[in-house]
Amino acid sequence: MKESFRVGFDVGGTFTDGVLMHGREVVAKAKSLTTSDVTGGIVNALDEILAKSQLDASRVTMVSLGTTHTTNAIIERRNLNRVGIFRLGAPATTAIPPLTGWPEDLKTAIGGPDVIHVVRGGSEYDGRDIVPLDKKAIETACRAMKGKVDAVAITGVFSPIISDHEERAAAIVRDILGSNIHVTLSHRIATISLLERENSTILNAAVISVMQRAVQSLKTAAAERGISAPLFIVQNDGSVMSADYAVDYPIFTVASGPAASVRGAVYLSGIDNGVVADIGGTSTDVAYIVNGFPRESSITVNIGGVKTNIRCPDLLSIALGGGTIVKHDGDNVTSLGPESVGYNLVRLATSFGGPLLTVHDAAVAVGELNAKLDVFATDFVTAPDKVKALPKRLVENAWEAIRRTVEEAVDKMKTTAEPVPAIFIGGGALVVPKTRISGVTEVLTPEHFEVGGAVGTTIAEIGAYAEGVVDLDYEARDAAIARVTEAAKDNAESAGAVRGSVEVIDVEEIPFTYMPGKREKIRIRVKGKVRQ
Amino acid sequence: MNPRSILKEWGVKDARVIDKKAISEITLGASILATGGGGDPEIGLLWTYKVLDEGKEILMVDAASVPDDIQTASAACLGAAIVLTEKPPSHTVLNLAIRKLETYLGRPIQATIPIECGGVNSPVAYAAAGEFGVPVIDVDGMNRAFPELQMTSWVTHGVHASPTVSVDDRHNVTVIDTGDDDVLAETLARRAAMAYGGISWVATYPLTGSQVKETSIIGSQSIAWAVGRAVMRARRDHLDPIAELLCSLKEERGVEGYRVFRGKIVDIRRDFGSETNKGFTLGSIVMEGIDHDRGRTASLDFQNEWLNLRVDDDILCLPPDLIAILDSETGEPIRTDIMKYGYRGTVVLIPAHERMRTPKGIEMFGPRHFGYDLDYVPVEELNRS
Repeated sequence: MKESFRVGFDVGGTFTDGVLMHGREVVAKAKSLTTSDVTGGIVNALDEILAKSQLDASRVTMVSLGTTHTTNAIIERRNLNRVGIFRLGAPATTAIPPLTGWPEDLKTAIGGPDVIHVVRGGSEYDGRDIVPLDKKAIETACRAMKGKVDAVAITGVFSPIISDHEERAAAIVRDILGSNIHVTLSHRIATISLLERENSTILNAAVISVMQRAVQSLKTAAAERGISAPLFIVQNDGSVMSADYAVDYPIFTVASGPAASVRGAVYLSGIDNGVVADIGGTSTDVAYIVNGFPRESSITVNIGGVKTNIRCPDLLSIALGGGTIVKHDGDNVTSLGPESVGYNLVRLATSFGGPLLTVHDAAVAVGELNAKLDVFATDFVTAPDKVKALPKRLVENAWEAIRRTVEEAVDKMKTTAEPVPAIFIGGGALVVPKTRISGVTEVLTPEHFEVGGAVGTTIAEIGAYAEGVVDLDYEARDAAIARVTEAAKDNAESAGAVRGSVEVIDVEEIPFTYMPGKREKIRIRVKGKVRQ
Repeated sequence: MNPRSILKEWGVKDARVIDKKAISEITLGASILATGGGGDPEIGLLWTYKVLDEGKEILMVDAASVPDDIQTASAACLGAAIVLTEKPPSHTVLNLAIRKLETYLGRPIQATIPIECGGVNSPVAYAAAGEFGVPVIDVDGMNRAFPELQMTSWVTHGVHASPTVSVDDRHNVTVIDTGDDDVLAETLARRAAMAYGGISWVATYPLTGSQVKETSIIGSQSIAWAVGRAVMRARRDHLDPIAELLCSLKEERGVEGYRVFRGKIVDIRRDFGSETNKGFTLGSIVMEGIDHDRGRTASLDFQNEWLNLRVDDDILCLPPDLIAILDSETGEPIRTDIMKYGYRGTVVLIPAHERMRTPKGIEMFGPRHFGYDLDYVPVEELNRS
């Protein structure tokens, strides 16, 4: 492989981490405070790693980003597009119109009720038309929308199986509103379940411009520093996609932060199956990795008050981080948190002469935390006498409570009774116990664990998937799986993967309940190396 | 019509107002009692919200206050759950099905009766009632969900599903009138659903007021409501949702439920359905114990709904008693149509309603009906400590 210098960023709630990688080696790392515009923090981290490494910026071969841009835009209802909404499904589906159950302020923020249209069209599960597509209705609606929308979202019934009606509707939209209008088609957002898919499609259209601006400003900042490498964005499942693709599908990046952490943990530790805990200042995210990817969430994912069915890692978040307050009654620990001193660790925690006992202090007291990390500005303890003065029993009890909490969280996420390895990363990885955790063969804190998320963004694997409904009375199972696999590989290739390197990582079959016959849904996930 | 004028006509003063909070609680409770089946609750719930948003009033009355001679019917969804998930209905289907049934019967429907406790079919009865301006009666035919149309206390107590009207979104209409052959009614209704594209909307079980009182699970809606309310309260107050659920069952029904196993799904075996096994998804899962149940293994069979539970070598539950696997933190039910590897949950067992445990009931939906060479033993005896 030719010489590769990869830059990665992980934007968290408190810190924006940046790394420069050369092959598997971390050349430089940085933590800068996350700024409200997000981009500022990234640029600061970029400048710091370029300064530290003294690398000629033109030698950077890849830039990747795990980001919270889209999540924040939706949650804060800021900078959202006005979205023209088409559902192709009448006369079916009218019992539940688009945006049912959305928060009112979010409905208003994306354009209001005048630009919502349920038109005749859509498919049955077996590929028949429900009714022919009503092209006239789409044309009329588009003419009325002119100048009132920035983007259009189109959702057709059973489009994940038959996308024809969505494609034809999109052609009409572009014809009338111009080819520059952003159009999101639901079958590209995927999975069967109309209402959740429609919600995801509309949210996607709403944040396209936000992602475009973020990608554009990062591209500009990179170009100004002489970097001409391609830009990649982390998806919710921890794989990356090209930024040009992310601009069209920003909804796939809403959980990219924790997902990147998981990938970083896999990369740094070399372990493909096990438990990952990303320990921060306030909370710990625990995920279970299968073949190098986080297992996906079982539950519909709620974003900004809207139910969606986008792919997200199955995370268990617990209130345990370096700043978590240890509440106690004498020597007995009454609870761990959930409150954390957060930013104020260096003012309020015992280790820094403050009044409160935190998880950080317990780690210092038992000797687990005994060195400063060079990415942090402050030393790990400035008032060692205060720590020494802590009652021995209290420290023991606190440490045991922390151990038990970690052990329970790890156990909840495991899917096998066999002991598995655990990987601890994040700025808080040093403040929790690494031994005597049952169900765990060993706890690893690989080198550079404190910037594990940023490392995770630099990993050159493109994830993609495809779904299809098959009738096993008419198609052999192997042939059906092969057909859906090809579709998944097509998707990976169009997202920027080298086709020859694409491999299957998961095959899922979901039969249609309540139906005679042998119909089922096949869902295939693949990953492949980035085309460089 | 509006429900208040009907109740006035009946001389009924007491009715419970079903608002959004109430229907969300009832739907959650019904999803839990649906024992792994019953379809995606989101669609029924949002539909009912829409009816309420249109300013229509939904009222629920006790069975005891209903006149003997009135005509009631059940409005429900019958077909493939995943098709429903992708193709929610036209707002006109319930109205069409009920109107056609009224035409066939030659008399108007004056109240709706939910067919089962299920994520879709419970709230749909309320949405229908709101649309027609009639009350909902606090009953159903199962106090759980079952896979087939005829598996009701109504049939085991001598009344019938026929005539049933089955419609689709394009206003195709099928009238099924098989007299006292309820199994044939189920077969025909399922074939109609397939031909429509996987989902049908039915107006079924046209019962009189006196039949409702004599053959239904009385108070079934109140039971679902109490269960849902308890679990929602647990979520809000960070209490144990399973404990609150069991407590609500004791208060509302006077029965003990059992928290028997906590584990995660480590194997899912699906036997794909064929004409010969009646067109249902059959399969089984294996759960490995976590926490206190570490080292124990649970296995469950399902035919759309959970059928039986075995932990290590002991059978702990047989149909028609209820099995629910609930998310330990939220109390949300894990459904057979969407469960995946790695799902974690607590298995809860609930005695079936006494009206589902008659000899006729055990014959029609007990262990032997589902192919087990086992006599029915009540869940209370199987879990006697």
